[in-house]
Amino acid sequence: MPQTVAFLGRAEGDCALIRRILTREKIEARELTSLTELAGLVGKELQAVVVTEAALAGPGGEALQEALAAQPAWSDLPFVVLGEPAGESPSAEALARLDGLHSAILLSRPLRPEVFARALRAALKARQRQHEARARMAELQLRDRQLFESEASFQAIANSVDQMIWSTRPDGFHDYYNSRWYEYTGVPEGSTDGEAWNGMFHPEDQERAWGVWRHSLESGDPYEIEYRLRHRTGQYRWVLGRAHPVRDAGGKILRWYGTCTDIHDMKVAEEQRRLMLAEMNHRVKNTLAMVHSIVSQTLRQAESVAEARDSIQSRITMMSQAHDRLINSAWLDARLREVVETALAPHQDEAPRIALEGPDMAIGARQALALTMALHELATNAAKYGALSAPGGRVEIAWQAPEEGPFRLTWREAGGPEVAAPRRRGFGSRMIEQALAGYFGGEVRLEYPKSGLFFEMSAPPEGLTG
Amino acid sequence: MTGPQQDAPAILVVEDEPLIRMEAVDMIEEAGFRTFEAASAAQALKVLEQEAEIAVLFTDVDMPGGMNGLALAAEVRDRFPEMGIIIASGIVDLEGREMPPGCRFFPKPYPTSRITAALREVTGQG
Repeated sequence: MPQTVAFLGRAEGDCALIRRILTREKIEARELTSLTELAGLVGKELQAVVVTEAALAGPGGEALQEALAAQPAWSDLPFVVLGEPAGESPSAEALARLDGLHSAILLSRPLRPEVFARALRAALKARQRQHEARARMAELQLRDRQLFESEASFQAIANSVDQMIWSTRPDGFHDYYNSRWYEYTGVPEGSTDGEAWNGMFHPEDQERAWGVWRHSLESGDPYEIEYRLRHRTGQYRWVLGRAHPVRDAGGKILRWYGTCTDIHDMKVAEEQRRLMLAEMNHRVKNTLAMVHSIVSQTLRQAESVAEARDSIQSRITMMSQAHDRLINSAWLDARLREVVETALAPHQDEAPRIALEGPDMAIGARQALALTMALHELATNAAKYGALSAPGGRVEIAWQAPEEGPFRLTWREAGGPEVAAPRRRGFGSRMIEQALAGYFGGEVRLEYPKSGLFFEMSAPPEGLTG
Repeated sequence: MTGPQQDAPAILVVEDEPLIRMEAVDMIEEAGFRTFEAASAAQALKVLEQEAEIAVLFTDVDMPGGMNGLALAAEVRDRFPEMGIIIASGIVDLEGREMPPGCRFFPKPYPTSRITAALREVTGQG
């Protein structure tokens, strides 16, 4: 900082004196001629002013006063004032202006040069301090603004990101949640501070969560847990909570920062997938059990390998076609008439001799499969030994589902050769007489009157689906 | 030997899927035993209360309605300590699931000869 000192005297003697001392002290200075000129220089790199009491009384006093008042807050231009020669008292004017100088030191006459020099140097040092203070303040203001902007920036990020964000002290005391947390949970701000977060968890998850959190606090291991969080709607939803510690240079944990992500829909979908896979697995196992059953029982009963082969193939093909039908309806259910038609498909040629009568209705997948197999057996037997084995025979298939009372399905043969109950019970008879009733939760009757085979199944309405 | 004899030991077959139950009944009758059937644990307990002569419980694990096969086995072990218990299941890994003591376990599909051998052993038939 250029040490610009200005001085102003009235009497030439004063000016010469000041000039001499300044030169000797090697202080650069500028001689002014009026207070007005001085006023113009205030605020322009002037570091100190030397002025005589007499000069203070001159014209331009108001201008100087204004200039001094207009200084910025940090600035207080120091004055060294040379008093009136001994014996002479200052004018009222001079005294008034002296008071208005704020920072002024008054030196008495006769002026001792070293006193004057010291006073001036002190003034200059004081001025330098003012400059330093100003620089420091500017720095603080800058830091202040940067902090404000940084905070605003953080808030913008933390509150716009579509995640719940939270943070805790090293001891686990939760003291920050972003706005998403409060939006999601609907609780008042601050109400989940400290340890109150645990109460937002599903009662069954609270203890487990405490355990995991405590472990993380003690070990510093990242925190991760799936749990149910209470949504503002009152519903508990699955959420993934994760947190990491932030450490100082020495490795000590300063804070924990964490997020909560809503994974509810994903979890529900996952559960549904799991259920579906279990269901599929069950169905496959049942299908294989059915094949196992068909094969072992057919082999047990067959007279020859060729007969066994034909029988097995026929039954498995039928089962396969029934499956195809079911896949088309996504394994949900099947139309009863279609089921009957599928079972009778191998006997297309005999179609005119087979009558179907009954309302359009749905039955469950398992029931459809069982009925297909049973009807297949009835049809095969009819073709081998019964009404379809000779011309003139007929089959009547009818079903009813009255408003009240059980469902009934009948298979009546007529006009064919006499048939009797088989001596040995093979897959067919077991399927018809035992298994079928099991699938429908009902009862089956199989009779062999002279007129022709008669089959009847009755089942409660709830046994048809599900 | 085909078909049960009049005084052969009786086995209770518990399985919810009718065809599979049929298969099990078939296999067991083929080995010379008499059979009773139930489609659920609840039904099984009813049958056990009504029929005093059942020697062995033969049950699946996964069944609908409240009680599964393992719970049924535990109940039976409690109430009928003399009864043999054979558990058959489509679940491959039953580790960690508790089976009452003295139960035998077989996977599905039924390994016929091993099961019938076990039945014979349990009923003291050879």
